[in-house]
Amino acid sequence: MIDLSLLPYALNLAAIYALMAISISMIWSSIGMLNLAHGATFAVSGYAAWNLSIIFKPIILSIFGKTLIAKLLMGFVLISSAMVAGAMFGLIIYLLAFLPIHDKPNYPVRSLIITLAINIATIQILLFMFGARNKGLPKIFGFGKFEIFEIPIRYDQAGTIISTIIILGLMLSWLKFSRMGIEIRAMMQNPEGAAYSGISRRTTAIPVLMITGALAGVSAALLSQTIFVSPTSGSIPLIKGLTIALLGGLGNVPGAMIGAVLIGFLEAIVGSIQQRYVMFSTFIFIIIVLIIRPRGIGGLLDDTRE
Amino acid sequence: MKNILEINKLSAGYGALRVLHEIDLSLNEGERIGLVGLNGHGKTTLIRAITHMTEWQQGSIKFCGEEIGGIRSFGAGRRTAKLVKMGISVAPQGDAIFPGLTVRQHLNCGAFTKIAWKEKEKRIEMIFDIFPPLKKLENSLVGKLSGGERRMVSIGRMLMVDAKLYLIDEPTNGLAPKIYSSLLKAIWELNLNNSSMIIAEQNINLLSKNVDRVIGIYAGRLRGEVGHVELK
Repeated sequence: MIDLSLLPYALNLAAIYALMAISISMIWSSIGMLNLAHGATFAVSGYAAWNLSIIFKPIILSIFGKTLIAKLLMGFVLISSAMVAGAMFGLIIYLLAFLPIHDKPNYPVRSLIITLAINIATIQILLFMFGARNKGLPKIFGFGKFEIFEIPIRYDQAGTIISTIIILGLMLSWLKFSRMGIEIRAMMQNPEGAAYSGISRRTTAIPVLMITGALAGVSAALLSQTIFVSPTSGSIPLIKGLTIALLGGLGNVPGAMIGAVLIGFLEAIVGSIQQRYVMFSTFIFIIIVLIIRPRGIGGLLDDTRE
Repeated sequence: MKNILEINKLSAGYGALRVLHEIDLSLNEGERIGLVGLNGHGKTTLIRAITHMTEWQQGSIKFCGEEIGGIRSFGAGRRTAKLVKMGISVAPQGDAIFPGLTVRQHLNCGAFTKIAWKEKEKRIEMIFDIFPPLKKLENSLVGKLSGGERRMVSIGRMLMVDAKLYLIDEPTNGLAPKIYSSLLKAIWELNLNNSSMIIAEQNINLLSKNVDRVIGIYAGRLRGEVGHVELK
């Protein structure tokens, strides 16, 4: 019998992984780049949120005291600073790893190597600037827990799950209904057809990298409620995001979401039995799924043909 | 009569492969040209070269007097979107559709120029008049449509832009005669006004009575107007 108290933990993990996997999946399918600097975006956003929280925390506390408004304001400062930093870092990736090479031969391989280099360089710069010590972000959602159907849920878990649902809901609606969203989806589905429709890959890559950077920022702010910010804190979310994006079928947003939920539950269940088997079981599961369904979960969901 | 397209000594290809060999072609306002040739002889590459989709090209392409040639691109064309905004609209071979968008969203994708976006509702209605089956399918996903319906969507998307030059690559390819004859009928009935059209096709019989000139292409070289010069 599965322990139901694992449910909030599993959904919490799924929420963070979904944010990372959807971003990686979107970047790959729309601009053909496997962005290995996404982990660096995560870490930079975490540090930006930490820096701004140090500046704003005393100001907010001196004005509002320890009230609900102060907590909400701190939450806003943390998430918005991480999002802005993530979006700005996305712009840097655009300028360094996309713009100079997107029309050159072997662009996918070149961009993979450049983003890997950006990732490594950023980790070293963060180590140089902030040292190797972990930094703790202020708790946005406070301490404590409540129960639903006798399942204990921590405030940070509930906050992470609800924030992710809201942010992903807003982003997916924007992708579905806005003009820019249709442009990005067209590019994800057929880059050549998009070019024939007057959609410029060079121009559309800017919002793609900025939005996915902002999503990495949100996941950094939310995950940092559970773990500490460090120069390498983006590495595990990057690996998880990449593998879940593959599991979901690269380029398939609903597939990535389902993949994130499956991996979240798998990790929670295996972790409750024996923590050291978590990575092992995750990769075995992904390998088995990809052997049986090479197009990933997205292949099962997709009832259209190319 | 205003010159729309002037191609001089155009060679183009992919990597070490030279597909087009010093092509010269001129197209005037209101003119329809049929480009006829066998598979693999350069029809598609000529259309791709005009829209900057070949890996390399040499020579000159002037569109409405402006030089647009000499651009090379790997993957989706670097400057193709700009050409569409200048007034070149393409229905490529294989349709280049977006399977996860609905017919209406797909047609909207053809309207990403400033003027076309403002007029998109009017133009979508015009396209539903040209291809009535699309009206019933406007909220269906394009990936679920049949080959003929997809071709209608592809050509419909091309017509969303009020272009000066329309390029259609093998519209009948892979379709049953009954389906492609109605599709071609719709293409021939289009009122071009001041625009021009190049239509690439393998079957000369489908073109000859409906275009102003039929030009043959063989092994990457234009062989003059068919009827004057016999194709090998």
